[in-house]
Amino acid sequence: MSSTPRSDRPHGAAIRRRTDKNSQVGKPNSARAAGAGGSSSTMLKLYTDDSPGLKVDPFVIVVLSLAFIASIFFLHISAKVIKAFTK
Amino acid sequence: MSSFRFLQLVKPFQQILPEVSAPERKVPFNQKVAWTAVTLLIFLVCSQVPLYGIVSSDSSDPLYWMRVILASNRGTLMELGISPIVTSGMIMQLLAGANLIDVDFSLKEDRALFGAAQKLFALIISLGQATVYVLTGLYGQPSDLGAGVCLLLVVQLVAAALIVILLDELLQKGYGLGSGISLFIATNICESIVWKAFSPTTINTGRGPEFEGALLALVHLLFTWNDKTRALKEAFYRDRLPNVSNLLATLAIFAAVIYLQGFRIEIPVKSNRFRGQRGTYPVKLFYTSNMPIMLESALSSNVFIISQMLYNRFPDNLFVKLIGVWEPLEESPQLFATSGIAYYMSPPHTLHAALVDPIHTIIYVTFMLSVCAIFSKTWIEVSGSGPREVAKQLKDQQMVMAGHREGSMYKELKRVIPTAAAFGGATIGALSVIADLIGAFGSGTGILLATTIIYSYFEISSRENLSPEMASMGDLMG
Repeated sequence: MSSTPRSDRPHGAAIRRRTDKNSQVGKPNSARAAGAGGSSSTMLKLYTDDSPGLKVDPFVIVVLSLAFIASIFFLHISAKVIKAFTK
Repeated sequence: MSSFRFLQLVKPFQQILPEVSAPERKVPFNQKVAWTAVTLLIFLVCSQVPLYGIVSSDSSDPLYWMRVILASNRGTLMELGISPIVTSGMIMQLLAGANLIDVDFSLKEDRALFGAAQKLFALIISLGQATVYVLTGLYGQPSDLGAGVCLLLVVQLVAAALIVILLDELLQKGYGLGSGISLFIATNICESIVWKAFSPTTINTGRGPEFEGALLALVHLLFTWNDKTRALKEAFYRDRLPNVSNLLATLAIFAAVIYLQGFRIEIPVKSNRFRGQRGTYPVKLFYTSNMPIMLESALSSNVFIISQMLYNRFPDNLFVKLIGVWEPLEESPQLFATSGIAYYMSPPHTLHAALVDPIHTIIYVTFMLSVCAIFSKTWIEVSGSGPREVAKQLKDQQMVMAGHREGSMYKELKRVIPTAAAFGGATIGALSVIADLIGAFGSGTGILLATTIIYSYFEISSRENLSPEMASMGDLMG
């Protein structure tokens, strides 16, 4: 009997349960699961939950940021070209 | 009640703030690595593409000391780096911690609002920072640039900040590994280290062109100079340009940090619920990891920025001089503190400088060690990883310390954790000082941040799965 529950509760589940407990108590206010790996991890963790915002697929973000970079490139190149022609 | 309305203010914006949709099922490790790599690539490109419309950016850089912890590159799209996220996160958490804004973290709605508020605040900060940068003439006088280009610069900076915010969120929502913040910091530092080792640019030092990269220079000098011993000596000890001994120093610090990461006290615990389930609760020497050094670096760079501003405005004021006197060092436009409090807070530039002015060195070392230890001890209280919280967590899991009664667990943790935190903080401060003195690439702060972050990535990936894929992480972080 004693061996079955151990396999039912993998390590990750234990951590998640712990963070839930934390947020119920309201402390600590960062969502870091301290003690999960023994010691506190380093950085501030900022976004924790889903919020009812404008949902964006991560793929869209990657595409949009690439488009942004491309447009900056385009600006640089077009500036060079225009300069070359007007001279 | 009036403070509660602050969060309600954010509510109308919550609908339009972009938000990464959470993955529907757990993302497999391979895909996580792929997402992380893509994010990293976007970051790297962004930190190389120059902003459109810059006239000049070769005056003294007032943010020189901040660049390391903010993962920012001057004159590029990553000019702001992660500073909007970090600043907004710190301020909001501070406000929430001090109960200045009333957040009930047990309510899902409140947590969502808090997240949205952080994001909105980060955007506002980036807009403010961008405006200040452009208008103070960091990229050339605004009157020369013209209104159109000024506006374009601000738009570029804010858009880049939004990208960083979303990429960070993407990683944190479980698509990638770790957080964007630490990934970007580590990448930025590693990039500069690799660049200094392998940079193919040649610089004319008056004795013909020399490679900037330390290793390339070594090979080049060995092949071109006739006197091989002199060539070797030059490659190892040339000043102004990165040399091989700096590279070796960097590697030595890297190895030392990794070695010390293994130091830990393991507290044996056993479960009350399941008989026979035993485990250990490890308390690492670097309990607070790189947090003390980040806080120290944030503190001193803020002091430096304020002192520089004051010195530029009132160079003759005695009080201002007491805080710091700033002069350019060796023909480069970059200003360095030459006396005053700021001087004693900044590391000696070389081992030689450290020996010439021992008082500076001693004060600097004492300052670093004590500040790091204090910050480390404070951080465990602020971040909720202090002995009380750990004892509570263990109790929630019905774990007790083997051979101790339940009540004495807190006492034992209270004995171990603050000591580990303070001593670990001092150790990491000492390592940073040593790195600065032996001239490791980047700064001591930089290399320590990079090493601890990379190590934590190894921990993450070994926790994710214990497969040979782990090895690929090493290449990824390179």
